[in-house]
Amino acid sequence: MKKTLLILIIALFTFTLASAQDFPYGNITTQEMNMKSYPNDTSAHGVVLQEFGKSSINIGSDDNIKQIYEYHVKIKIFDSKAFDKGTVKVYLYRNDKNDSYEEVSDIKGVTYYKDDNGFTQKVELEDKKVYPVKENKYWASYKFALPGLRNGCVIEYKYRVESPRWYKIRTWDLQDDIPKVYSEYEVHIPGFFNFNASIKGPLKLTKATSAIETKCFETHGASCDCSLLNYGMSNIPAFITDEYMTSPKNFLSSINFELVDWTSPYDGVKHKETKEWKDIDYLLKTDPEFGGQMKRKSLFKDKVAQLIAGKTDDVAKAKAIYQYWQKWFKWNEFIGTDSENISKAYDTHSGSIADINLSLIAALSAAGLNAEAVLISTRDNGAINTLYPVIGDFNYVVAKVNIGDQSYLLDASDPLLPFGVLPFKCLNDKGRVFSLDKPSHFIDMSLPQKEKTTYMLDLTLQDDGKLKGKLTKYSFGYEAYKKRVAIKKFNSIDEYVESVNAKLPKLKILNSEIRNIDSLDMPVAEEYQVEFDAYNKLNDKVMFNPYFWNRTVTNPFKLAERSYPVDWGMPSEDRLAITVHLPAQYVVETPPQAVAISLPNGGGRYITDYQVGDNSFTFTYLTQFTKSIYGAEEYPYLKEFYNKIIQSQKQEMNIKKK
Amino acid sequence: MMRKAILFFCLIGSFTASKAQQNYDASLIPKELLPYAGAVVRDNEVSIEVKDLDNAVYHVKQVITVLNKNGDNDAHIVVWHDKDRVIKNIKGVIYNQFGQQTGKFSESDFEDESAWDGFSLFLDTRIKHYLPSITEYPYTIAYEYEERSKQTLNFDEWIPNPYTGVSVEKSSFTFICKPDFNIRYKETNIPVKAIIGTNAHGLKTYSWQLNNLKAIKNEPLSPYFKSYSSSVMISPEKFVYYGISGSYTNWKDLGKWINDKLVADRKQLPFETIEHIKDITRDITDPKLKAKKIYEYMQAKTHYISIQVGIGGFQPFLASDVDHQNYGDCKALVNYTQALLKAVNIDSYYCFVKSGRNHNVSLLSDFASMNQADHIILCVPFKNDTTWADCTSQTIPFGYMGDFTDNRTVLALTPDGGKLMHTPKYTTANNLESRKANFTINEAGELSGNMATTFKGVDYEDRDYLINEPKTEQYKILQRVYPINNMDIDKLDLKQDKSFDPVTTENIKLHARDYASVDGNKLYFSLNSVDRETYIPRQVRNRLNDVYITRGSTDEDEIIYTIPAGYHLEKNPLNVTLNKPFGNFRASMVLEGNHLIYKRKFQLHDGTYNKQVYPDVVDFYQEVVDADAYNVVLVKN
Repeated sequence: MKKTLLILIIALFTFTLASAQDFPYGNITTQEMNMKSYPNDTSAHGVVLQEFGKSSINIGSDDNIKQIYEYHVKIKIFDSKAFDKGTVKVYLYRNDKNDSYEEVSDIKGVTYYKDDNGFTQKVELEDKKVYPVKENKYWASYKFALPGLRNGCVIEYKYRVESPRWYKIRTWDLQDDIPKVYSEYEVHIPGFFNFNASIKGPLKLTKATSAIETKCFETHGASCDCSLLNYGMSNIPAFITDEYMTSPKNFLSSINFELVDWTSPYDGVKHKETKEWKDIDYLLKTDPEFGGQMKRKSLFKDKVAQLIAGKTDDVAKAKAIYQYWQKWFKWNEFIGTDSENISKAYDTHSGSIADINLSLIAALSAAGLNAEAVLISTRDNGAINTLYPVIGDFNYVVAKVNIGDQSYLLDASDPLLPFGVLPFKCLNDKGRVFSLDKPSHFIDMSLPQKEKTTYMLDLTLQDDGKLKGKLTKYSFGYEAYKKRVAIKKFNSIDEYVESVNAKLPKLKILNSEIRNIDSLDMPVAEEYQVEFDAYNKLNDKVMFNPYFWNRTVTNPFKLAERSYPVDWGMPSEDRLAITVHLPAQYVVETPPQAVAISLPNGGGRYITDYQVGDNSFTFTYLTQFTKSIYGAEEYPYLKEFYNKIIQSQKQEMNIKKK
Repeated sequence: MMRKAILFFCLIGSFTASKAQQNYDASLIPKELLPYAGAVVRDNEVSIEVKDLDNAVYHVKQVITVLNKNGDNDAHIVVWHDKDRVIKNIKGVIYNQFGQQTGKFSESDFEDESAWDGFSLFLDTRIKHYLPSITEYPYTIAYEYEERSKQTLNFDEWIPNPYTGVSVEKSSFTFICKPDFNIRYKETNIPVKAIIGTNAHGLKTYSWQLNNLKAIKNEPLSPYFKSYSSSVMISPEKFVYYGISGSYTNWKDLGKWINDKLVADRKQLPFETIEHIKDITRDITDPKLKAKKIYEYMQAKTHYISIQVGIGGFQPFLASDVDHQNYGDCKALVNYTQALLKAVNIDSYYCFVKSGRNHNVSLLSDFASMNQADHIILCVPFKNDTTWADCTSQTIPFGYMGDFTDNRTVLALTPDGGKLMHTPKYTTANNLESRKANFTINEAGELSGNMATTFKGVDYEDRDYLINEPKTEQYKILQRVYPINNMDIDKLDLKQDKSFDPVTTENIKLHARDYASVDGNKLYFSLNSVDRETYIPRQVRNRLNDVYITRGSTDEDEIIYTIPAGYHLEKNPLNVTLNKPFGNFRASMVLEGNHLIYKRKFQLHDGTYNKQVYPDVVDFYQEVVDADAYNVVLVKN
C-alpha cells in the first residue's frame, strides 16, 4: 500500500514538472504574427495569447519569508483600441510602519511587428523607459509603455515582485476585457503554510492539478515539502459590463487564496488563521485594531453620560449618541475595517470608517446599549465568499444597535444619513455581525430601506391658459437623504429654490417652503406655489397630457438581452397625484385610459386612476419596484414594463368648451 | 471683586486681539460677500522676489473662512513642487467662527503624493496637500509657505478669484526684483493699476490689490473664464530656464528662443526611415498629398502617450526616439512628423496652442509669455494653402482640426522666429448634420424604414467613437444615441471619407415595435424620433456675463412617415419658426394623403451676445424642446 502511494506521488510529480512551466520568453510563431482576428471572438481588439503567473512562498534575498510573484504575458494586438494593453502599471504596496515594501525586478518587455517587407522585427523595452513613482504613503508603482506598438503587433512582458506580505497570495484574474487563449496560475505553498483556494465566477477551469515538491523550502535548518498547484483555463471570453450591475468582481472569474494556518519554520509554533467563524471571532475580538477598539467604552463614559442625560428610552439614547457622532467626525475618505486608535481619531475629529464606527460602537456600549459591529463588503468591492470564512473580503464596518426586538444599522460617517439608514454603497450581499460576547452570524444587507417620492399637484386652469396652483413633493427614506445632499450643495435654501426654478423656464415659483431638512427621520417636504405656462391662450379645445410632470420618455433598458442581474440596491416607489380645476365652461371630453401593469411574482406594478370631481378631475399613478435585485431572467419583463409605461404616457386627454 | 475679574479678562482679551495681526471673526465678513459663497478669502498675499536669474522666491499667505461644507474643498491646501521648485516653511493656524485659535498645523501634517493630470503615464511633478478636519462651521484657516524656484521664465499668474463659490475680501500681489530686471505685465480686469515703487533694500516693486470681490456663479454659455475675471501676468525680459538663459520681449523672440534651445536639434532620423519616407512618397507629386501620405504613415505607426520629464515639459522627445518607440506626447509627435516631412523637403511649423472645445482661446497678441498654451499642433504652410494637423490622433484626416484647436491664434515657430497665426474656423454652414428618413408606421404601431445621415465640419467626428467597433457594439451604442424605444437595427453602414473636406455617412435600416401607441381608434407617436433637443440652459438671475456661443452649427432633418390609410390629425399640426440673432429654428409638418412630412432645421450662430439676450436664449431652447417633443395624434376617419 505504501509503495503504490509513493509511486503515485512520484508519477504526479514528474507529470507536473513536465507540464507546469512558464512559456519561454522571446518566442514568437509565424501563426501568432499572421493572426488577423481571434476566431472565437472576431470583435476583439486584442487577445491574450498566453498568460502565466507564479506565486510562491520562499526565502527572499534578505533572509525573510517572502511571497515571490512572477507574471508573464503575451498579447496579440489587432488594432489601436487595444493599445492600452501596452501601457503597464505595476503597483507595489509599501508599509511605512516597518519600512518593508514590495520590490519589483526583472522587468522585461518586447514588441514584435512586421516591417514593411513582411519580416518580423522586434523592439525591446529599455530599462530607462521604466518610470518608478512614489504615489503616496501606501503605494509606489513602476510604469512603462511597450515600444513600437502598431496594428497587428504582439507584445510580451514579464516582471517579478518580491513581497513581505507572504500571507497574501495574489488573486489571479482569469478574465479581462479582452479574451484570452490560455491563462495559467501556478502556486507553490510550503507545508508550513496552509491556504484555502477558491474559484469565483461562472467559468470552468480546464486544468487543475496538485502535486508535492519535496524539500522545496528551507530556512535556518527547518525544511518542508511544498504543494504545487496549477490552475489553467482555455478560451476565456472577454468580460462585458452591463448597466445597473454591482461590482464586476462578482462575475469575473478569478482564483483566490486565504491563509488558514501556518507553522513558524523558526520555532515550530503553529498559528491558526482563518478556518472557521469561531476562529475569526476570536481573532477579531483579540485584534487590538478591532475588538480592542470596540471595547474601549470607558473612553466615552463621561461624554455619553452627558448625551443621554434625562433620556429613558433606549432608541432616544442611541439616536442622541449617533447624531452627536455624525456631527463630531469628519470622515477622511478612507474606508477599512481596522482602527489603530479610536481615541486619537476622536480627539482630532477626523477618522476612517473604522475609526468612526468602532468608536460609535464603544460609545453606544458605554450607554449600556447592546451594540455590535457589522463587517460589510461595499458594492464596488464585490460579493463575499460564503463557502468558508474569508476575512479579507470585508472592507467596511458599521454599527448595529439592538433595542428590544429591533435592530438598527448605523454609519456615522455621513451627517445627513437618518438613524438606521445606510449609504447605498453598503447595500451589498451579506454582512457579518460581530459582538464581543456572542458568536458571529450573517445578516442580509438588502435592508428594509426604500426610495420613495410623492408628488401632489393641485392646479387650476385659468382663462389665460396658465395652470396655477400648488406643487408638493415629499421625499421619503433614502430619497430624502439624496434630496438633503442635493439641497446642501447650495449655500442657502434660497439658492436651492433658485436652481429648481432655473431648470424649468415654463414654471414660475411664486412662493416656496421646504420642511424637515434637518429632521433626518422625517420625509423632506417641498411646497411650491407655481404658475405654469401650459397654453399660450385657451382655445375651445385643448389637449392635456396628465403626465406632463415627470413623464418617462425613454426606456432605460435598450438591449435585447442581459447577462447579469439588474441591481438597484433597494426597492423604490413613485406616486403622483394631479388635480386640475377647469374653468366653469370647460369639460373633459376624453379621459385617460386606466392602466394596470405588473411584473411577475409581485416584482412591481404600475397603476393609474382617474376620478371626476366638481368641474375638476384627479389623476393619479403609482410606479413601484418591490425588489432590490432583478435576475437576468427577469430582464425582458422589466424592459417590457417600461415599454408599456412609455406607451401609456404618450396618450393625451381632450378638454373642450361645453 | 467679580467685576474686577471680568475687567481683567477683558483687558487680556483686547490685548491679544491687538497683538494678533487681524481679527478673523466670521461675522465681520461684509454681507455682500456671502451670496453664492461657500468660502471667503479673507486675506491673500502673494509676493514673488527675483533674487537672481535662477532664483525666484515666492511667499504665499492665505486666510480663508469656510462657511459650510461646500467650502471645505477651498480650504484644502494643495501645492505642487518638483526638482526645480522647492516648498519651505509651510505652516498654519485654525480659528473658530469667533476668530479664536483652536489649532495649528505644519509641514509634517501634509501628505506628499505624485501628481496626476488625468492622462499622463508619467509626470515628474508632486503635490503636498492637507485638509484640516473641522466639523463646526464657519471656521478659518490661515497658512503660509515659501517656494524657491530655479527658473525665471514663468511666473505664476495672479488670479485673485479663481474659483466659483468663493468671494474675496482682500487679495494682493507684489513682484520684487533688482532695478535692472525688466519685466512686462498684462493686467486683465484690474480696476486699480499697478503701484510701482522701490523698497527699503533698493529693489523695484510692482504691487496690485483688489478688495471685496463677490463669489462667481457658474453661468451657462459664458465666455472663457479669464475674459471676465481679474488677473495679472508677468513676463521677464531676461531669464534662466533649466540652466538655459534667454531673453525676449515679443512672440518673435520667444519663438526663436524655444526653437533654438528646445526644439530645433531634435529632428534627426535614422537613415532607413528617411529612405522609407522618400520611397512611399516617390510617386506623389503634389506636396500636400505627399504630406498627407506622411501624416497617415505617422498615424499608423505611432500612438499618444504622455510622459512629462526633463525640461519642464517643454522639450519634445528626440524624433529618433519616437521612431523607435512608436509613441510620444503632442510635442514629440509633432516634432517627429516635422522630421518625416523634412525628409522630402516639406517645411512645417511647430505651433503652440491653447486647446479646448468649450472656448476658442487665442494667445494674447499684445503679450508674449510662455504659459498661455497647453498643446502642440503642426502647421504645413503650402503655397496659398496653409494646412493644420493634430498629431495625437490615429484616426482624424490630414488637415482636420476638429473643435479642439479650431479658430484661434497660435504661436508658430518659423525660421524667422515666433509668428502668431490663426487656425481655420468651422462656420455655421460647415458644421452640418443632415438627415433624411423614410419611415412607415403600421396599425399595430410598429415603425420601420431607412435613415441616412451625413456629418460634416466638427460633426465629422460624431461617430468616431464607434467607427472601429464591431457591429454588435455599434448597434448597442446607436440604440442609446437615438431616442427610439425598442429600436432594432437591421442594417448599418457607417463610412468616413477622409478627404480634405471629410464627411461621415451613416445609413440605418431599422424597425421598432410599439413606436406608436394605439388607443382604440387613435394612434399617438413622437414626431421627432431622431434628433430631439432636450437641453435648456438654466435661467440665471442677475446675469453678469455675455452670452457666448463657441461655434455655429446646422441640423437638418426630414422625415417622411407613411401612415395607415384613413386617419386624420386630431390637433393642430406643428408649425414653428423662430428667428433670433443667435439662432434659427423651423419645424413643420404636413399630412398629404397617407404621407406625413416632417421638416426641421436648427441653426446656432457663433458669437458673443449681450447678456440681456440670455432670457431669449432660454426661451428659444424651451420652444425648440417643446417643438421636438410634439406628439402626433391620429384619429381614424
